Amino acid sequence: MEKLNITLYRFDPEKDAEPRLQAYDIESDGPLSVLQAIRHVYHNVDGTLSFRNSDCRRGVCGICSMMINGRRQLTCMCLATDGMTVEPPPNRTIVKDLVFETD
Amino acid sequence: MSSDGIDRVIATDVLVIGGGGGGLRAAVAAHDAGARVLVLSKGIVGKSGLTQTAVTGFQVAFGYADPRDNPEVHYGDTIRGGYGLADPELARIFCDEAVAAVEDIESFGARFDRDEDGKLIQRKLDSSQTYPRSIKKGDSLGTPIMQALRREMNRRDVPRLHEMLVTKLLKDGDRVCGAIALDFQKGEIVEIRAGAIVMATGGAGELFPVHSNTPDSTGDGYALALNAGADLVDIEFLLMLGHAVLHPATVRGVLFTFQYLLTKGARPLFNSEGEPFLSNYDPEGSDNPARHIYARAVYGEVRAGRGSPHGGAFFDPGSVSHETLMDSLPSQTKYLEKFGVDMTKPIEVGAAAHYVCGGIKIDTGSQSTVPGLFAVGECSGGPHGAGRIGGNSLTEILVFGKRAGAEAAAFANEGNTGNPDRDDASSEADRVTAYLSRDRSGPRPNVIKARLQQLMNDYVGVVRNEEGLRDTIAEFERMEREELPSMSVAEENRVGNYDWVEALEVTAMIRFARAMAGAALLRTESRGAHYREDYPELDDQNWLKNVLIRHSGNGDVLDFEARDCKPSPEYTPVPAEAG
Ligand SMILES: Cc1cc2nc3c(=O)[nH]c(=O)nc-3n(C[C@H](O)[C@H](O)[C@H](O)COP(=O)(O)OP(=O)(O)OC[C@H]3O[C@@H](n4cnc5c(N)ncnc54)[C@H](O)[C@@H]3O)c2cc1C
Ligand code: FES
Repeated sequence: MEKLNITLYRFDPEKDAEPRLQAYDIESDGPLSVLQAIRHVYHNVDGTLSFRNSDCRRGVCGICSMMINGRRQLTCMCLATDGMTVEPPPNRTIVKDLVFETD
Repeated sequence: MSSDGIDRVIATDVLVIGGGGGGLRAAVAAHDAGARVLVLSKGIVGKSGLTQTAVTGFQVAFGYADPRDNPEVHYGDTIRGGYGLADPELARIFCDEAVAAVEDIESFGARFDRDEDGKLIQRKLDSSQTYPRSIKKGDSLGTPIMQALRREMNRRDVPRLHEMLVTKLLKDGDRVCGAIALDFQKGEIVEIRAGAIVMATGGAGELFPVHSNTPDSTGDGYALALNAGADLVDIEFLLMLGHAVLHPATVRGVLFTFQYLLTKGARPLFNSEGEPFLSNYDPEGSDNPARHIYARAVYGEVRAGRGSPHGGAFFDPGSVSHETLMDSLPSQTKYLEKFGVDMTKPIEVGAAAHYVCGGIKIDTGSQSTVPGLFAVGECSGGPHGAGRIGGNSLTEILVFGKRAGAEAAAFANEGNTGNPDRDDASSEADRVTAYLSRDRSGPRPNVIKARLQQLMNDYVGVVRNEEGLRDTIAEFERMEREELPSMSVAEENRVGNYDWVEALEVTAMIRFARAMAGAALLRTESRGAHYREDYPELDDQNWLKNVLIRHSGNGDVLDFEARDCKPSPEYTPVPAEAG
């Protein structure tokens, strides 16, 4: 059993004055990709989180790109680690939480 | 919002539903034919679906690798690979037009691997190809194709809308004339009015717990078409591959096409006793049999107690050098290593759902049985029959994408936009919106989905039998009756609400799953991708037939019809056993 604490960016432009960071504890059978960890939070911990369930699992589409601990990376292509923080890329219009407008 | 629950109305000539390879090829063709085109996709247009993830190659009979190859030989392979059930006219079209389709996509800027003489390199995946025929780009074939199609879309400035989930097709009398969609980013219900529609919604791997597909492959297109009165064909043929990685869970279902390494000295698949076993399962005794045999062979070993810890068999990438791995399968190798897989040691491989061989029944103009409704790519049915040989899918989406687009444009030009039945439009808007106001005590969509996936895996997967199929169908009917009405989404917020999308997907998934299981129950034989342990033999005396499925409009009842087909002479029927 793997235990992770991950922090995700939350912001609902319709309701919130400011974005905030929210920490989540997750437990899983084995290692998870960052995208799998986000999906895990959504399905098992907090269904009010917005995210894009787009997962080519090959690093080809770029849609899953986020800031992981401040570095831009493909969330389908790297392992979730304890204590990590995931935020949308800077200078994007936020639709809600981890969903931002694409170009 | 207007009184009928619809937030926005958009009009176009040709509506393309799906932003993968088939959809974009159709959109470009429809635009070139002078139609106003709109592409909708539930993912990002051009960056969602399966085409971009395609790995190894697609079949085009240039005859560079072996001069004996030509479209006729390709056609023969396709007919045999479909075990006599492919529609001969449709198979003929994509084999004959494949070379032109490659020239087209190259003229759009796609580049494939060539040898020193500038000829396209052609490889052979397995024994279903008479000669090496698959052209490639490293092991990431989808990338150049999608890049080229996106560029053409941009060059023509074809309108597109991202993250729009189509939930219903609208009709005017017999013909389709529009659709209702949920806009994920805005949380709005949108009505699209169109002169013709091209379905390009891809496959349905997500019906199974382990699959090679993207999570948006929920089979919506099949359910949409069924609900609009169109015939589906050959959907009992669900191709399970045996070369997916099973462990660790981060990479479960990802394909590792080790077949290409077998000619480079790699050790064939082996079981927990270290023994090779594939030739025991192949009627022709090959140790690199056609793809669908792999999954069944691995299943047989697992059942006999000789499986790997996670229900598969072993492949040893360490039996070839790392240079060979990087040379043949660079992106697959790098991907697995990124997730900590040690590529010098045996890895666990086994079954994953990969491809729905049938789908929305099309004619040579790519039109379904409903006027104005066209289909292309994995969601369509007819060209492949009972099995799709490796590399024929991309050939098909390019050839039929062009046809579907041109034909849909011609259809739309003939008539004006129809008038969708207002009651249908508003009752669909109500159905979609109602999820938000349900009480939150019922199961969330992913819970119901997990149950559906388990049932599909256990009873509608690699091996099927009558009892399992009957019980599963009854269970799906019960789920439609009892669980779907109580399914609830996590919150009522409209913007970026993935549960809302998933609830609509799960509803479509159960409908399609029931259709697939029903067709599998009807077919009391084993053929191609469909295997019945209670009827393990191929039965050409009784089953040279296609199973057609339609929604008669009588409640939720689906009608199944087994219709005789006349196979092409390239298929040699197996005679009845003497006595
Ligand atoms: C890992 C992998 C490797 C493969 N490798 C090969 C190969 O080497 N050679 C080969 O020939 N074939 C290969 N295939 C098969 C082939 O890639 C696919 O069958 C083919 O690309 C499907 O194309 P498509 O256009 O029909 O659908 P897709 O490319 O899957 O596109 C479907 C689109 O429809 C959208 N959509 C779905 N439902 C809705 C809805 N309700 N509303 C709006 N939009 C919707 C999706 O968002 C997506 O944009 C591979 C498949 C996989 C999974
Ligand atoms: S989901 Fe496509 S790059 Fe990550």
